[in-house]
Amino acid sequence: MNGEIDLDNGSVSRRIFFDPDIYREELTRIFGRCWLFLAHESQLANPGDFITTYMGEVPIIVTRSKSGVLGAFFNSCRHRGMRICRADAGNANTFMCSYHGWVYRNDGRLQAVPRHPDGYPEKMKLGEWDLVPVGKIANYKGLVFGTWDPTAPSLVDYLGDMAHYLDIILDRREGGTEFVGGTQKWTIQCNWKFVSDNHVGDSYHTPVTHHSGMVAGFYSRPSERLSTPGYSVAAGNGHGLCLFRKPLRTDLPLMKAYVEDHQAEAEARLGQPRASVWPVNGAVFPNFGFVVAGAFRTFRIWHPKGPDKVEMWSWCIVDSAADPAFKEFIRLETLRGQSGPASTFEQDDGENFKECHSCSRVPLPEDPRFNYMLRLRTAREEVDFPGRMNDMPSETNQLGFYERWAALMECVPQGQTRGISHES
Amino acid sequence: MSPEDHRSIELFLYLEARLLDQRRYRDWLDLLADDLQYWVPIRSTRFGNKSHAITGGKVELQGAEITRRDELAYMDDTKVTLRMRVERLETGTAWAEEPPSRTTHLITNIEVEPATNTGEFQVFSNFLMFRSRLETEEDVVVGNREDLLRRHGDGWLIARRKVVLTHNVLSAKNLSTFL
Repeated sequence: MNGEIDLDNGSVSRRIFFDPDIYREELTRIFGRCWLFLAHESQLANPGDFITTYMGEVPIIVTRSKSGVLGAFFNSCRHRGMRICRADAGNANTFMCSYHGWVYRNDGRLQAVPRHPDGYPEKMKLGEWDLVPVGKIANYKGLVFGTWDPTAPSLVDYLGDMAHYLDIILDRREGGTEFVGGTQKWTIQCNWKFVSDNHVGDSYHTPVTHHSGMVAGFYSRPSERLSTPGYSVAAGNGHGLCLFRKPLRTDLPLMKAYVEDHQAEAEARLGQPRASVWPVNGAVFPNFGFVVAGAFRTFRIWHPKGPDKVEMWSWCIVDSAADPAFKEFIRLETLRGQSGPASTFEQDDGENFKECHSCSRVPLPEDPRFNYMLRLRTAREEVDFPGRMNDMPSETNQLGFYERWAALMECVPQGQTRGISHES
Repeated sequence: MSPEDHRSIELFLYLEARLLDQRRYRDWLDLLADDLQYWVPIRSTRFGNKSHAITGGKVELQGAEITRRDELAYMDDTKVTLRMRVERLETGTAWAEEPPSRTTHLITNIEVEPATNTGEFQVFSNFLMFRSRLETEEDVVVGNREDLLRRHGDGWLIARRKVVLTHNVLSAKNLSTFL
C-alpha cells in the first residue's frame, strides 16, 4: 500500500474502509498487536466473576480467579475449538466445554479431560493444553486491556500522553470509577474506522448531526455548544480526544453542584491545568473510546465484524464516590442522550456511519478521497498540555489516527505529522 | 374483569400501534399517563441455575438476564422525556428519522389481569416491529410488553410499560421509533 493516507494535504483513500484484503491485514497487524480494551475491573468485582468479549474478531473470556487475579483467554476449547463459555457474564470456578467435556479452571488451566489418562498416550499432559492466554493484560486505573503481543510496550507506554488525559475522567475523585451494570449491544453496518474516526476527534459533526437532540434539550443548546472554546488533542500513537475549556450542562442543578463541590478535589488530584478542561469525546487506538461531554458518561468499544460491520458495546461510567442520586442522574442523562441505539445522539450517528459506509464500499476508477483539511497544519504545542493541540473542531486527531494506522499497516503515508514544525 | 374491558384494552393497543405507524406522535403522547414509566431494559445471556457448563459459581453472582432498574437500559423514559423525543422528531434535523422510516407494529398475545388499584389492569402483549428504511434497509425488533393500563373516561392511559426484548445484540443500527 502506498499513499492511502496523505498527511501533508489532509486526505484519506476510501479504499481502506472497504477493501477485504486490507481488513484481513488489519486483523493481524492492528488487532493482533495493539492493546485492546477488555473490561472495567468493576465488571469483575468478585472472585469467580467472568465476562466474555472479543479482541478484534477473536472470542475472549475475562476472569477473576479465586485468588483475585484477572486473566484473559481465547474462549475456545483446545480440543475442537468449541466456545467454552457461551454466557455474556456470570460467576464460575470452572468451565466445561459442552462438546466433549474438557474442564478448564477460571485461571485457564485444563483441569480434567474425559478418558484421561486411561484413553490417552502418556505424552498427553493436561498442563500443555491450557486455554490460550492473551499475551499480556494490564489495568490502567480500572480499565483492563490485553494484547496478543508479549513484546508489546507496557500499557502505560502505549497510552502515552493519552493516559494524562484519561486521568481527568478516571482519577478525578478518590476511589476512581465504576461501570453502571449492563452493556448495550447493537450492530452498525459500517467499517470500524468510521466509528474510530468519529470518536477520536470529530467534534465538528455535533452541531449538525446532533442538532435535533440539542434543540430538544438532551444536551446543551446549539448556541452554547458552538460558543464554548475547546481543544482537540492528538495524543500520539493514534489516540486523541477533545476538551472543552469550561464544563457544559451546568444549567442542570445536579451537574452544577457536582462540579462545584468536587472541583477542589479534582485540582488537588489532577493539578489546575487538567482540572480546568472537560473531556468531550476521545478514542484509544484502535477501537475504544468515550463521550463524556456535559452530563454524558459513556465508554464504548466497537468490535470489527468483517469490513462492513461493527458491533457497538456501550457502558455508562460514574465516579465510585458519587452519591446514588448523582449516579442515577448520570445514568439517565447518558442513556437518553448519548449511549445506546435508542439514545437521541447515537441514533443519528448510526445513520451517518451506515450511509458513509454504503456510499464508500465500492471502488471507483478515480478514488474520491475523504477530506481532512479542517485546521490542517495549525496544530501547536501548549504549555501544560502534552500532544499536538489544535482549536476545536479540527481534524488533527483523525490524521493522527490514520498516521498510526499507516505505520502499523506498513502503508507509506504522504508526509508525516509527528513534528510540530511540519504542521505549522 | 369483564369481556368488554378485555376487548376495549385490545382495541386500545391496536389504536396505539396504528398511531405509531402513522407517525401521529402527538396523538400517541395523549395515550400516556403523566406518571408513565417507559422502560426497555437490556437482555443478555446467562447460564441457567442448573447449568452443568460451570461449577463453583455463586447463583447470586450470575447476574440477571434482564438489567435491573438501576442499571443501564436501552430506554428509561418518562412522559416528559418521551415528549422531548417527539419534539426532536419534529425538528426536521432528526436524521435517523429524516427522511422517516416506515414501520408496522404487530401486537399479539394480549392477556389482561386486574392490578392492585381499582381501574388499573396488568396487560401482557407481544410485539413485532418491522422497520423499512430508505431503500432496502430492514429491521425486525421483537419482544414482550408488560403494561399497566389505567381507566380514563371511556378509554385508557398507559401508566407503565416494560419492554422485554427477545434480542441480545440488536441487529439494528438504532432504535429510532417507539415499541
